[in-house]
Amino acid sequence: MFGYTKVKLETSMVDKIKRYAEIAGYSSPEEFITHALEKELALLEDADSEEEIKKRLQGLGYMS
Amino acid sequence: MVPVPWVYYNAAAGSLIPERKFSVFFNISGVQLPGLPTHTRPPCVRLAVAAVVVAVVTLVFPTPADAYIGPGAGFAVLGSFAVIFVTMILAGVSLLIWPFRMTWRAIRRRISHSRTKPLIKRLIVVGFDGQEPRITERMMAEGRLPNFTALAEKGGYSRLRSTFPSITPVAWSSFTTGTNPGKHNIFDFLDRDPRTYLPRLSSTEIGSVNRELKLGKLRIPLAKPSIRLLRKSKPFWTILGEHNIWSTIIRVPITFPPDKFYGAQLSAMCTPDLLGTQGTFLLFTTRPEGGAFQEGGLRFELSANGSKDSFEGTIEGPENSFFEGNPPMTLPLKIDLDRAANRALVSVNGESVDLEPGELSDWVKLSFKAIPGMKVRGISRMMIIEMGEHVSLYISPINIEPDKPVMPISHPSYYSSYLEKKLGPYATLGLAEDTWALNEKVTDDRTFMTQTNDIDDEREEMLFTALDRLRKGLLVTVFDATDRVNHMFWRYIEDGHPAAAGIDEPEYANAIEEQYLRNDEIVGKVMKRLGDGDVLWVMSDHGCTSFRRGVNLNAWLLEHGYLALKDGADGTEEWLQSVDWSKTKAYAVGLVGIFLNIKGREVEGIVEEGEEVEALKTELKAQLDGLRDDEKSEVAINEAFDTDLLYRGPYKGNAPDLLMGYNHGYRISWDCAGGVVAGAVFDDNTKAWSGDHIVDPRLVPGVFLANHPIDAQDPGIVDLDPTALTLFGLRAPAHMEGSPIVETDRFKK
Repeated sequence: MFGYTKVKLETSMVDKIKRYAEIAGYSSPEEFITHALEKELALLEDADSEEEIKKRLQGLGYMS
Repeated sequence: MVPVPWVYYNAAAGSLIPERKFSVFFNISGVQLPGLPTHTRPPCVRLAVAAVVVAVVTLVFPTPADAYIGPGAGFAVLGSFAVIFVTMILAGVSLLIWPFRMTWRAIRRRISHSRTKPLIKRLIVVGFDGQEPRITERMMAEGRLPNFTALAEKGGYSRLRSTFPSITPVAWSSFTTGTNPGKHNIFDFLDRDPRTYLPRLSSTEIGSVNRELKLGKLRIPLAKPSIRLLRKSKPFWTILGEHNIWSTIIRVPITFPPDKFYGAQLSAMCTPDLLGTQGTFLLFTTRPEGGAFQEGGLRFELSANGSKDSFEGTIEGPENSFFEGNPPMTLPLKIDLDRAANRALVSVNGESVDLEPGELSDWVKLSFKAIPGMKVRGISRMMIIEMGEHVSLYISPINIEPDKPVMPISHPSYYSSYLEKKLGPYATLGLAEDTWALNEKVTDDRTFMTQTNDIDDEREEMLFTALDRLRKGLLVTVFDATDRVNHMFWRYIEDGHPAAAGIDEPEYANAIEEQYLRNDEIVGKVMKRLGDGDVLWVMSDHGCTSFRRGVNLNAWLLEHGYLALKDGADGTEEWLQSVDWSKTKAYAVGLVGIFLNIKGREVEGIVEEGEEVEALKTELKAQLDGLRDDEKSEVAINEAFDTDLLYRGPYKGNAPDLLMGYNHGYRISWDCAGGVVAGAVFDDNTKAWSGDHIVDPRLVPGVFLANHPIDAQDPGIVDLDPTALTLFGLRAPAHMEGSPIVETDRFKK
């Protein structure tokens, strides 16, 4: 749930990521890679149900 | 206690065993049990073996244990003697290597200190969420905030530029990371899912467990649900930690689940309650009106128990994902009245709470049984609302119990438990003050203020407990009460406020000022504890103004042809369910702005990226800039901001396309926030929630006071991280924005 694991990437790719992470405004190369993967995963993952969403937002004072 | 997977979190805390090490030995996802090598057995056999072990252990040793609970997330469960065995071994190993670890840490610290030269010993940041400069400055001028004034005279005072938008999750995330929202990814309380157009919480993602083992009606999750903080970038206390500078971070918003760093942290805003919501109160009543409240809160029947003085009901707790259909875990509740003494005895969990009508109880522990051997614990406060012809009992949102939390609410995991042992039970819910119950008139001003003051007291104890222990490093504590009191009591300080009709409790006419007096006392106590080399900052993330009129942006978009309804729909459905997306160019979701329905981004987008998007934004902006509320002859929206120009960074594409800069007195309407399109564009706000800050950020800056001069002319909240890092002798990293607000020469001896 909160752990991390290592993934192997080509060194040349990592060098590029390091260079562009800073330019793009990421705080680290890891954040850059995570964001890139999140965007791809979002295309594949199912959306939450309406009921589930409603429940999670229930009680948020700004909406009541 | 029989450990279950979640227990590794607590067990690790108690025995100093890091979570990662533990998972090597007991990996539920991989079902890797000692003695049962996974490569020799097919998956189905492994699962069956695991299931048998679990079933036997949980049934033979039914002692209470902790569990994970969350909406739809499911429990993670498995238990084994192996866990105890491994835990004990690791604890022993941990003890044996302790001297070496301490030595290594000391060496690293020495190396680190030789590289960095802190200019200060301690930085103490006291945050009063939402403290409004206009009120602060007036009260300082009147001599009523002597400690604020003394601090300003010794060091400096300034208004503090907030973020766009000026709301708590965004502003504190900028404080935390030293970046604009385009880099930390929090633009609102809510985000929208472009696949469904539905809102979702912007700060936290709680995943569900997809792999489970079915044993009849029983379901055993075979993976741990993920809980992710969606705020990006890097907190400045993580950077301090990388240089071996300790930080204690107490209740800074948008820290759930907590970060891991060299220090301690207690999570805050957006930590859910035990039901997985942002705070759902329960009302047990004999009154015949049934059904749920219009917004928030759950109503349950209280039935007579064979006597006119004895009643019973059932508390419905968190979902029990061990069983098909996730039925709620329940607790029987009994109320016995002593009408002559005007008291009620509420019995739950085998314990009785003696209540006087109208008085809130202390925290009451509620323990829900999931399966034999597993309990989910929460805490709540109760109050008898009436015990005449009808009987009604209010139960506050069930907070996660801090001693044995079922979700990660602190770092290290035992920090919440440590605080509980030291201070007693305390509120853990993100927005802990029950504003909904007051809005619904289930509770009253007095009850709300009691709740709020008690939570403030808890926070104050946390602050001073941490402050008295901190020798070097950073301490940040955020108090929420000022923001909540501003929201709920603004109706008392503004003549003609629509929500002021019928208020008749002069006792609370000065509730806001009294809160500021209280803050002044806290500042005074902190100042007395300052020593050489200590820096104190007192700050708020934004201010507050009136919320008299609501603006339904979706109604406006409908009126002006940018949004269309499905055939036959009248727009009264929530969550934009009545919108015809194939004919809609723009829509409002969340609290701060408008999204365009962009082709390729939104699932049914129709606006082409590029020229069409730009032209539509320009057209909308031209109409919304200076939008007038003709009924009141006032400007409702000062300016609509193009967020493409406002933000920089990799996440700015997640922002609304236009951000609304409302004028004083205006805010998004309640209907619009709930996705209702129907109705007038403007309406009166008659709820107790009568002040707000979701307006043009230039109207609601925060306050900033320090015991050192403030050299910057127009300091902003985003400037504070680079300032803090500089004071600790570090250089702000490249991704961080803002500039130090004080010349470092002032600290060089």
